[in-house]
Amino acid sequence: MNIEIWQIILLTLLAFIGVVEMLGTNILAGQAVIIGMIAGIIMGDIKTGLAVGATLQLMGLGIQAYGGASVPDYMTASIIGTTFAVLSNKGVEFGLSLAIPVGLLMVQLDILARFCNVFFQKRIDKAIDKVDVKQVKLNNRLGILSWGLSRSLPVFVMLVFGEGLVNLMLNYIPAWLTNGLATAGGLLPAVGIAILLRYLPVKNYITYLIVGFVAVAYLSVPMFGVALIGLGLALKAFKDTIKEQNQNQQQTVVYSANMSGGLQDGEYED
Amino acid sequence: MENTKINKQDLKKVSINWLYGSQMAWNYEKMMAPGYLYAMLPALQKLYPDRVDLQEMMLVHNQFFNTTPHMGGFILGIDIAAEEIEGIESKEAVSSIKTGLMGSFAGVGDTIFGVLFPTVFGSVASYMALNGNAIGVLIWILVNIGILIFRYHTVFIGYKQGAKLVGAMSGRLSALTDAATLLGITVIGALIPSVVKAPITWEFKSGEVSLKLQETLDQIMPMLLPVLVVALVYYLLGTKYFNSTRAILFIVVLAILLRALNILG
Repeated sequence: MNIEIWQIILLTLLAFIGVVEMLGTNILAGQAVIIGMIAGIIMGDIKTGLAVGATLQLMGLGIQAYGGASVPDYMTASIIGTTFAVLSNKGVEFGLSLAIPVGLLMVQLDILARFCNVFFQKRIDKAIDKVDVKQVKLNNRLGILSWGLSRSLPVFVMLVFGEGLVNLMLNYIPAWLTNGLATAGGLLPAVGIAILLRYLPVKNYITYLIVGFVAVAYLSVPMFGVALIGLGLALKAFKDTIKEQNQNQQQTVVYSANMSGGLQDGEYED
Repeated sequence: MENTKINKQDLKKVSINWLYGSQMAWNYEKMMAPGYLYAMLPALQKLYPDRVDLQEMMLVHNQFFNTTPHMGGFILGIDIAAEEIEGIESKEAVSSIKTGLMGSFAGVGDTIFGVLFPTVFGSVASYMALNGNAIGVLIWILVNIGILIFRYHTVFIGYKQGAKLVGAMSGRLSALTDAATLLGITVIGALIPSVVKAPITWEFKSGEVSLKLQETLDQIMPMLLPVLVVALVYYLLGTKYFNSTRAILFIVVLAILLRALNILG
């Protein structure tokens, strides 16, 4: 199957808008499964887009860019993975074996984009010297060029030269590697989950980890059902905590002063 | 407040500027400073008709700033309320409000908006998407629109409630964060058996007898291997040699090896 020029243009735009939208309104939020679905629609195969995006989404669970850390870019990976899965006609696993390295390599371009924006920061500093409000606005907006191009240029290049590349890969990649990467696709969500567990205070909540596990592994409750179980437990815990706090509040008058003090002291961490 | 120079239109402009512009020029030097200044401009221009004052306050807001974009609106609102009352005199107070709040708000915001929402809705969406169903993705998009509407109002809430907000919210916010964490961890427990795929193909053969390892393990506990893999990566991430990228590479190499040895399918 060949890729059409309009598809290349739309996918390049998707990469550009995807990252800028993620930084702002955050509706598509640069999330692999959402962007994968859109890439799938552009390529005329929504199911492949969903499957590639979902697998990457699960790998990246818990990997979020806090305080400016650069993390694997599963959004761009999702566009590339979906496109080549459809183009090669070799299915989701082939797309993933391309997408995973792309996601890891894109870390470097994310760093480059954040670095390039220092240039616009300097121009904003200068505009303040001259009290030039227009220039301050303009240079903040221009920042989207570094962000957008850091994603859209690699996508464009890969799509233009991609067909030859894919054929090359189809001919030369050994089976042990493609099979191994397919197995890796199944195992990698474990990394996302483990990172999440490191981030959250799992030791205090181990009970709920077990509840969720048993619901699926033994009782085969669908995911949405588990979310509802969790919601029920969360509502109860929330009410209990508020009730407890109200009781404490009656006992100690200084309570609220302490709390706000404590919050202001909170130090910033990534 | 008798002297309400700031009106609803101004707050609206600030809020919308922040919604789309908070991280446009994010950079390693001052992080979200350009976005914060950009959002504040409509208010600054109204509050400081004098060029010298305007420049001074632009400098104040061109300092290092970083928080969860979802929470920044509260800080902007509180900031505007303070500047409206005190004017340029509020310079130092405003700086310390900003630095005092950005960290603690980021702690709450990153947990709720950065981790828990993507975990819960990302898990449901991905689980359905793997079965070719787009409804989970559409639900997630709707939720994100809801969050955006909430974010739009945060500037107004911060402006009206001012400093009171911090004291009043802190108790409830920590209760909310705890409850949301509980929900998130329940979903993660469910994710391990649903999405980690580690089918064991290895068979032990001795003459007529063949023993499938997967079946034996299933009798001990279903989905034992996914649990062990998660536990292994969790442990590795706690050692100083591993970060997320190295953990990914480690699992990729491990998978290729185990597949080549015909242990995993």
